[in-house]
Amino acid sequence: MSQTNSYVIETHGLSKTYKKLQVLHSLDLQVHQNSIFGFLGPNGAGKTTTIKLMLGLTHPTSGTASIFGLDSVKHSVDIRARIGYLPQEPHFYEYMTARQTLHFTAEFFFKGPKKAIDDRVDEMLKLVDLSDKADRPIKTFSGGERQRLGIAQAQVNYPDLLILDEPAASLDPLGRRDVLEVMSGLRKYTTIFYSTHILDDVQRVSDTVVILNKGKLVAQGPIEELLAGSEGVIYIIHLKGEVEVALNLVQSLPWVSGVNSNQSNEESIWQVSVTDPEAAEIQLLKLLVNQPVVVNEFRRKQYDLEDVFMQVIEGGQDVRK
Amino acid sequence: MSGNDAFELVSERGWRRGLNTMLLSGLGRWFKTRMWWVQCLIWGSLIGFMLAAIAFNPQSPPVDELLVLFAIFAGLFPAVGVVIIMQDALVGEKREGTAAWVLSKPLTRPAFVVSKIIANSVGILVTMVVVPCLLAYAIITISTQSSPNPRGYLEAMVVIFISHFFFLALTLMLGTFFDSRGPVIGIPLGILFMQQNLIGFLPALRYVLPWDLVIPIGNTPSLVLYLMQNTPMQQDQVITLAAIVVESIIFILIGLWRFNREEF
Repeated sequence: MSQTNSYVIETHGLSKTYKKLQVLHSLDLQVHQNSIFGFLGPNGAGKTTTIKLMLGLTHPTSGTASIFGLDSVKHSVDIRARIGYLPQEPHFYEYMTARQTLHFTAEFFFKGPKKAIDDRVDEMLKLVDLSDKADRPIKTFSGGERQRLGIAQAQVNYPDLLILDEPAASLDPLGRRDVLEVMSGLRKYTTIFYSTHILDDVQRVSDTVVILNKGKLVAQGPIEELLAGSEGVIYIIHLKGEVEVALNLVQSLPWVSGVNSNQSNEESIWQVSVTDPEAAEIQLLKLLVNQPVVVNEFRRKQYDLEDVFMQVIEGGQDVRK
Repeated sequence: MSGNDAFELVSERGWRRGLNTMLLSGLGRWFKTRMWWVQCLIWGSLIGFMLAAIAFNPQSPPVDELLVLFAIFAGLFPAVGVVIIMQDALVGEKREGTAAWVLSKPLTRPAFVVSKIIANSVGILVTMVVVPCLLAYAIITISTQSSPNPRGYLEAMVVIFISHFFFLALTLMLGTFFDSRGPVIGIPLGILFMQQNLIGFLPALRYVLPWDLVIPIGNTPSLVLYLMQNTPMQQDQVITLAAIVVESIIFILIGLWRFNREEF
């Protein structure tokens, strides 16, 4: 399979305007097969609009979205036959029970045999821990129970692509943990594209992340690269002793682009920006050990997703990888 | 969809994709919940009670007058129910988010609309036409000791249904244009109750409004009454009947076109 063919979702210049208000600006996305793709952004960033465009629930003003290589406008029904979708606020027919809802959903994909459909419905009810509430009308369900039913109905067809719009939003911490475990477990069978504002969840399960702000893509890449930071690779070094000599030596290295030094108690704290992380990894600590200093801490600076998110949203940085 | 080898996949293609599932669900809503007997109870008791109150009165009118009253009751009142039910079929689903949910499945938009038309037509036919009309037939037969001609009565029931179908199609079409319930309920109900005034203002409107099918205009009996009395239909009323059928089809076609452009 070529690189291009391994993209489950590919958008080019995807844009949407509602009544003269542009809510999505020329979005270019590529989602690899079997990835867990975190789609981040503040409220109103355009996440749900993007999902609806991919599902054919709304039409693009310009640009294209292709899912499984099929155009989202021309082949929307064929695309939806291979997708499972959980809306941001799941709404079901209130007069149905959870079991009836899953049967109803399954019958869009399968016409039989009845036993196989019954078994699949039971499997889904068990997966989301709703077996004991299976025959209760949905109108008696809490928000969390509806969310779990939403996750079950999205998976009833074992989809090739699972699109989840805020899957853990109305779940308690245990429910959230369960959903993330389910998502991790499905990685080998399906591609998961999910939007969320819970950054911790993204960091735990996603392998690729996109950050959208005001309808524009502001960051995209594998999560490790985003977490490495947009400022390049930085080493944090805490040291004591004759730091001036060591500082001059480090600053003279060809792969060091800058050193930011601060004093805290009796320690000097350096942030060393490097252009060649491999050289820094191998040589930097060795060089310091041979100097008249004591190195108390030496580590590569790691960002958490919240740092990256705040940087790109508040700072307006573009950190596409 | 790996892991689905045990299943027989849905084979519907083209615009019919998902129709069967939606249709069964729509019929299930009518006949597997209490909806069918609640509607039967409402329209059966309303039409039956009003007719019985007159028919079993010591000064009961002759059978022809009872048939006129029956045509008015059965042709006018359930149309209100048709409008209320049909506005919920589209506007209700759009507002509650269930339309967006089912349309995220392999279901075409025409199949969604057509399933609403068929399922609700069957429900309305059974609960708002067949059951109340059969009850009325029994009341008229018992109270007057004479039965209306069964064939003519059956044809009258078909015309009553066509009149209701006009409001079904109109409400459905409006539901594709509006997201709020007000105009979708208000416009058809306005037409329903203002027909007489509109025809009085512009007589030619009798050919495009279903009033003439069920309610007498002046001294001219309605089409339903002609059929029940087994007398030949007037040509004007045949034109009206044909026009109502054509208008209903046009409403549905416009609704299908508009719903295809709907953004969720």
